[in-house]
Amino acid sequence: MINFEEELKRFKPSAEVEDAEDSIYNQDLDDMADVVVSLLKDARQQTDYTRRFNRR
Amino acid sequence: MMYCYNCSHPLDETGVCPACGKDVRLYKKALFISNKYYNDGLEKALTRNLSGAVESLRQSVKFNKANIDARNLLGLVYFEMGEVVLALGEWVISKNLQPERNLSGRYLNVMRSNPGKLENMNQAVKKFNQGLVYCENGSLDLAVIQLKKVLSINPKFVKAHQLLALLYLNAQSWGKAKSQLMKCMKVDNGSVLTQRYMHEADKMMLPEERRQVANEKKKAAGNAVEEKHGNETIIKPVHRFKATSGFNISGLIVGLVLGIAFAVFLILPARVQQITEERKEALTAISEESDAKSAKILEYETRIAALESEKDTLTADIAALETSGDKTVNDALMSAVNLYLADATDIENISLAMEPVTEESLEDAGEDFQALYETLIAGVGKPMADRYYNAGYASYRANAYEEAIASFTKCCQYDKENADARYFLGMSHYALEDTATARRIFDEVMSEFPNSQRASQAESALAEINNAND
Repeated sequence: MINFEEELKRFKPSAEVEDAEDSIYNQDLDDMADVVVSLLKDARQQTDYTRRFNRR
Repeated sequence: MMYCYNCSHPLDETGVCPACGKDVRLYKKALFISNKYYNDGLEKALTRNLSGAVESLRQSVKFNKANIDARNLLGLVYFEMGEVVLALGEWVISKNLQPERNLSGRYLNVMRSNPGKLENMNQAVKKFNQGLVYCENGSLDLAVIQLKKVLSINPKFVKAHQLLALLYLNAQSWGKAKSQLMKCMKVDNGSVLTQRYMHEADKMMLPEERRQVANEKKKAAGNAVEEKHGNETIIKPVHRFKATSGFNISGLIVGLVLGIAFAVFLILPARVQQITEERKEALTAISEESDAKSAKILEYETRIAALESEKDTLTADIAALETSGDKTVNDALMSAVNLYLADATDIENISLAMEPVTEESLEDAGEDFQALYETLIAGVGKPMADRYYNAGYASYRANAYEEAIASFTKCCQYDKENADARYFLGMSHYALEDTATARRIFDEVMSEFPNSQRASQAESALAEINNAND
């Protein structure tokens, strides 16, 4: 049996045209490529740090 | 074609960028996955599984935000589902990521050139949100009304269908709920929510309601055939009548011919009859007017003839009066008055001047004339009467009865109290055997002078006349 109140919670208001600008600006456009690049960058930085530490 | 994330150089099959040497293995893998999701989303969109397409395409752009095709398709799917703002957002981002040679530019231009349509869809969204508020506040009836309005504006608004179906399920209107869900399925057949509600409605519906909904479905679809492909159900019409251009033209011609025939055989005769009647009435009115005018003309002609005749008569009278040698009555009186004023004792000339003035002319004369006449007679009437009496008596004694009558008549005119003149006037008429006039005069003498000698003499003469007639 469907619970009306519970089901109603699934429904969220739709964005109106007046809110389009904010909706576009607030979108997170990071994709997997950015994540991968970021991961690689972090990994490189970590590698560089380890090398410097080992040299000491 | 894949491009390096670092230097944008085209990548080859190796795991490093040929230009900058960066490790692109993971990057390329992400792109491959994005494309895979895009293909999956495209397939689902083609089969109307819009909810599934949204999931796949969102994954696709998560792996590669620059996957323009996936983003454009995602926008399209959102637009079809009634989520205008989400669609616009995807297209705007797509346009910004790739300004040139991008389908999203065309989509945005279409939206810009149809501001009315965009406004309508925005209104539908606003009303949906309002309906949602009504639901949360417990005003379910208002929510139903509001959602119906939403669906009248945008019949493909999936969320509105689903919420309305939920409201019907809550109100235990299973048939209506199923009807809404079936409409929803036509737009998006992959929504789990829709299928769940549909299952609930089917479970609760009575067999009659199920049959009624099935009939409505058949009616809507016409002669339709359902085909199941795995989890998907495709409904195709069996005999779909396609109106070709030839059929359209022939239909137009037939319609035109029927219309002309209808006009000629039904409308035209009535109209012709009506016009004929109007013409007849107008003609009748004109005829009546013409007859009236003819009668008036005849009347005028008659009057003109009478007036012309009167004019001729008057002209003749005037001419007669103008050419006549006799003095007019007015001139006679004037002349007599002048003589009287000159010499009041010149009875003879005054009498001669007054000859044309008879008792008959006095009857037609005006008041001024009569007054002047009376004044003159008051002055010289008696002497004139005596003169005429003497002349008349002399004529009577000489048996000149006609002259006697003229003199005695003048005497009576100037002296109405002269019984002798009246008597001898009667005797003169009697002498000329004018017994009728004589009788009349003797009667006047007897009535006007009853106690006089002349009255008895008149009575004797009258008796003599009556005896003579017997």
